[in-house]
Amino acid sequence: MMNTSNGMISAPSSSSSPAANPQSPGIKTYFKTPEGKYKLHYEKTHSSGLLHYAHGKTVTQVTLAQLKERAAPSTPTGTSSGYSTSSGFRSATARLLGTGNGSRALSFVGGNGGGKSVSTSSRISGSFAPSNSSTSMTNTNFDGKGTYLVFNVSDAIFICDLNSQDKDPVKSIHFSNSNPMCHAFDPDAKDGHDLLIGLNSGDVYTVSLRQQLQDVSKKLVGALHYNKDGSVNNSRCTSISWVPGGDGAFVVAHADGNLYVYEKNKDGATESTFPAIRDPTQFSVDKAKYSKSNPVARWHICQGSVNSIAFSNDGAHLATVGRDGYLRIFDFLTQKLVCGGKSYYGALLCCSWSMDGKYILTGGEDDLVQVWSMDDRKVVAWGEGHNSWVSGVAFDSYWSSPNSDGSGEHVMYRFGSVGQDTQLLLWDLEMDEIVVPLRRAPGGSPTYSTGSSAHWDNVIPMGTLQPAPCKRDVPKLSPIIAHRVHTEPLSGLMFTQESVVTACREGHIKIWTRPSESETQSNSSEANPTSALLSTSFTKDNKASLSSKIIGGSTFKQ
Amino acid sequence: MGAAGSKLEKALGDQFPEGERYFGFENFGNTCYCNSVLQALYFCVPFREQLLEYYTSNKSVADAEENLMTCLADLFSQISSQKKKTGVIAPKRFVQRLKKQNELFRSYMHQDAHEFLNYLLNEVVDILEKEAKATKTEHETSSSSSPEKIANGLKVPQANGVVHKEPIVTWVHNIFQGILTNETRCLRCETVTARDETFLDLSLDIEQNSSITSCLKNFSSTETLHAEDKFFCDKCCSLQEAQKRMKIKKPPHILVIHLKRFKYIEQLGRYKKLSYRVVFPLELKLSNTVEPYADVEYSLFAVVVHVGSGPNHGHYVSLVKSHNHWLFFDDENVEMIEESAVQTFFGSSQEYSSNTDHGYILFYESLGPTK
Repeated sequence: MMNTSNGMISAPSSSSSPAANPQSPGIKTYFKTPEGKYKLHYEKTHSSGLLHYAHGKTVTQVTLAQLKERAAPSTPTGTSSGYSTSSGFRSATARLLGTGNGSRALSFVGGNGGGKSVSTSSRISGSFAPSNSSTSMTNTNFDGKGTYLVFNVSDAIFICDLNSQDKDPVKSIHFSNSNPMCHAFDPDAKDGHDLLIGLNSGDVYTVSLRQQLQDVSKKLVGALHYNKDGSVNNSRCTSISWVPGGDGAFVVAHADGNLYVYEKNKDGATESTFPAIRDPTQFSVDKAKYSKSNPVARWHICQGSVNSIAFSNDGAHLATVGRDGYLRIFDFLTQKLVCGGKSYYGALLCCSWSMDGKYILTGGEDDLVQVWSMDDRKVVAWGEGHNSWVSGVAFDSYWSSPNSDGSGEHVMYRFGSVGQDTQLLLWDLEMDEIVVPLRRAPGGSPTYSTGSSAHWDNVIPMGTLQPAPCKRDVPKLSPIIAHRVHTEPLSGLMFTQESVVTACREGHIKIWTRPSESETQSNSSEANPTSALLSTSFTKDNKASLSSKIIGGSTFKQ
Repeated sequence: MGAAGSKLEKALGDQFPEGERYFGFENFGNTCYCNSVLQALYFCVPFREQLLEYYTSNKSVADAEENLMTCLADLFSQISSQKKKTGVIAPKRFVQRLKKQNELFRSYMHQDAHEFLNYLLNEVVDILEKEAKATKTEHETSSSSSPEKIANGLKVPQANGVVHKEPIVTWVHNIFQGILTNETRCLRCETVTARDETFLDLSLDIEQNSSITSCLKNFSSTETLHAEDKFFCDKCCSLQEAQKRMKIKKPPHILVIHLKRFKYIEQLGRYKKLSYRVVFPLELKLSNTVEPYADVEYSLFAVVVHVGSGPNHGHYVSLVKSHNHWLFFDDENVEMIEESAVQTFFGSSQEYSSNTDHGYILFYESLGPTK
C-alpha cells in the first residue's frame, strides 16, 4: 500500500543524492562555527512537476512532527519528543537553559519505526552515494514512531521522513479548493487529531498525521473542518498554533488582523457569529454569540495582517507580530496585553520564544533580528547582519554554553535567523555583555552617550506598546557565522537535537547536522568508524530515558 | 474604457476619496515610460499641489510661453478638474512638447523611465530658476528688499549673509533635493575632506536577494582609494591612499530611489537587465544619514515598474498609494490592488523567470521633519 503511494510521489527525481545538490551551485555543504562544522546531511524537496500554480505562489512553512509509538501513548518515554514544534510542552518550564545538564550527551534519535534498520545502514553512505534502493527504504511502518517534516508548497502539503535520506516526500496531500498556508503539530494530542492546517481561504482543518500517512490517496482524510469556505473569516490564514496545555484548543491568525480561538470539543459545523469590530485600531476580544459553536472567541489584534504567532512554552503568553510592525505579548488566559513594541521600521514577519519564556526574537522588514526581554518589557538588542528581510528566527534550545558553570549567572543563549538574503546566521547572546550594562544608572555605561536613553532608563509599565527605538539607543549584536544555505530566499528555521533545519520559500529543505563534538560520548555505543560523522543518529535506545527530560522545541513559523 | 472606470469606482465604493481623480493615460506608441512616471508624480502630493498652485497663479498671464512645465501643469489640472472620478486622458500636448524639446524621446523606441524623470525634474528646475532670476532682477531693480517668499511658492534661501551667492532653491528642490556628503580621509595625514553634493534621486547598485536597506548600506560603505585611483590630499600635497564614504547629510522630503537594473556588461558589449529580487519595505529609515536625521521614517507611495526581460524593450506600469489604497496604473487602465500585491514586483531570485515585473523607481515620502 505504502509503496504504491511512495512510488508515485518519488518517481521523477528520487535518484539525486543530497550531496549532488544540483540546484545549489556554489553553495557549500558545510559551515564552520566556534564549536565545529555543521554539515549538510539531507535535503528534502518535492517534485514541482506535480504542482500546478493556479492559486499563485505560496511561502513554504515547515512543521516538525513527532509521532510516538502508538502502543504507549500515555508514557512520555524515550521517543525524543523534544523536537516537536511549537506546542505540547507541559513540563517545559522544568528545563533550565545553559545548565549543561547532560544535554550534550543526549543524542538519541528515534529512527522511524520498522524502517529503522534499513535506513540506518543506508544512512552511513547515504549522503554521498547515489541511492539506488529508494523503494526498499521507504517501506516505513507508519504505525510506529517517527519524525516527519510537514511543509506546504502551492496547493499541497508534503510530508517527509526527517531521518531518511530520501529527498522526496513520503506523502503529498493536494487541496483542490485553496492553498495550505500554515500548519502546526501537537505530539500529545489526545484524540489523535494532532495536525492543524490553515488555508488561504481561511478554512482550517484538524487531522491525524498518522492517518494521512496510512492513506494512499492524495486527499486529506478524516479531517474536521472549521471556518468552512471562510464563513467566519475569509481572509488568509497566516499562522496557526496549538495552545500548550490547552486541552485541544488552538489559535488561528488571519491576514485581516484577527485571530480566532477554537476549542476542539466544540462543533465546527455550527457557524459562529461575532459582533462587528468597534474600532479597528484597537485591540478587542469578543466571544462567539453561541457558546457551542467554533471558533469560540475572536481577538482583533491590529490593522493589517497578523504575520506570525507563538506561544510561550508554558502556554501563558501569546506573542503576535504583524504588518504594523508591532510585537505584542498577551496574557492568554486574561486576554490582556502585557507589553510590546514596534520594529525599527516595516512589518515584522516572524517571532519565537526562548525556552524559559524570558526572551522573544522577532525578524522583519528592517533586516534586523530583535531580542525582546520580558523582564524589561523592551528591546534589549538588535542583530545586524542580514542583507534582506528576516523571515525566520529561533532559539537553539539544545545548545548549551561551553563555559557555563550551571550557576545560571552567565546564561548565554544561542539563536539563529534566516532571511530572504538566503543566509543562515547564528548568534550568541551573552547576558553579561548585553543586558547588565543596560541596567546601569544613566551615564554609568561607557558605551552609551549620556542623555540619549529615555528608552533605557524608564521603567516600562505593563500593558503598553513601545514606539520604535532610536538607532543609537539599541545595543547591536553581530552574528558568529553567516552562511548562504540556499539559492532561494529562506522562509524558515528550526533547531532539533541533532540538526538545524532550513527551508526556502519554494519548498526546499536542508538538514544540517550539528558538529560531532558529541561523538566522544557516543563512541561508547557500537563504535563504527563512520558513526562519528553521523553520531547523533546512532545512539542507542538505552539513553532515551534521559532524553525525556529535554522537552525542547522550536517554534517554526515562516 | 468607461466600463473599467466604473469598475474601479465600484471597487472603492463609498471609500472613493473626496476630490480625488484616478485617470489612466493613453499610450501614443511606447510612451508608457512617460505615463508611469507622470502617474507617480501626480500622486506625489506635494509636487502636484505646487504644480497646480503654479498653474492657477500663472493662468492669468495670457501670453505665457508654452514649455514642458506648463504642459505638465496643464495636464495635472485637466485631471484634477475632471467631472468624472475615473476615466482616460490623453497627455497629448505634454508628449508632443517632450518630443519637440528633446530628440532623445522623439523616436518610438523604448525609453528609460528614470532618464525621463531626471530630465523632467531638471527641466522644471531650469524653468523655475529662469523665472526666479527674472523676478529677482525685477525686484532688485524696483526695491532692494529681500522677501522671504515670493510668487509661485518660490523660496529664497534665508538671509544669512550669502543670499546672493546661494543657488536658487525652487519648490522642486524643497520636495526632492537631498544633500550627500562625500567624506574622504587621507590615510597618511588622517585629514578628512568633506564635499557636499545635492541630489534629486539616488541611483543604487543592486545585488541578488537583497533589500533596499542593504543597497543603501552598500551605497554608503567605505571605499578605499588606492593604486590608480589615489586621492590628492591638499594637506600632504600629493596623491595618497584614502578612504571614502558617502553619507546623507540632509535627507530629502521625497526620497526617489532608482534601482540600477540596467547594467552594461562589457563581455556582451551591451546593456542587460538585472532581474534580481530586491525587496523594498513599505516603511523605510535611512541607515546612512548623519545626526539629527538618523531616525526619519519614510513611507512608500509609488513604484515605477519595468516589465520585460531586456533593457531595449518591454513596458512600464506604476503602483501608486492614494488615501491608503494601492492602485495599479497600466497606461489607460487603472485597477485597485491589495497592498500585499506590491510584493510581486520585487524581482526574481532565479535568473530566468517568468516573472519580469520589477520595481525600478521607488518613491518614498518622509513622515517626519526633514528640514
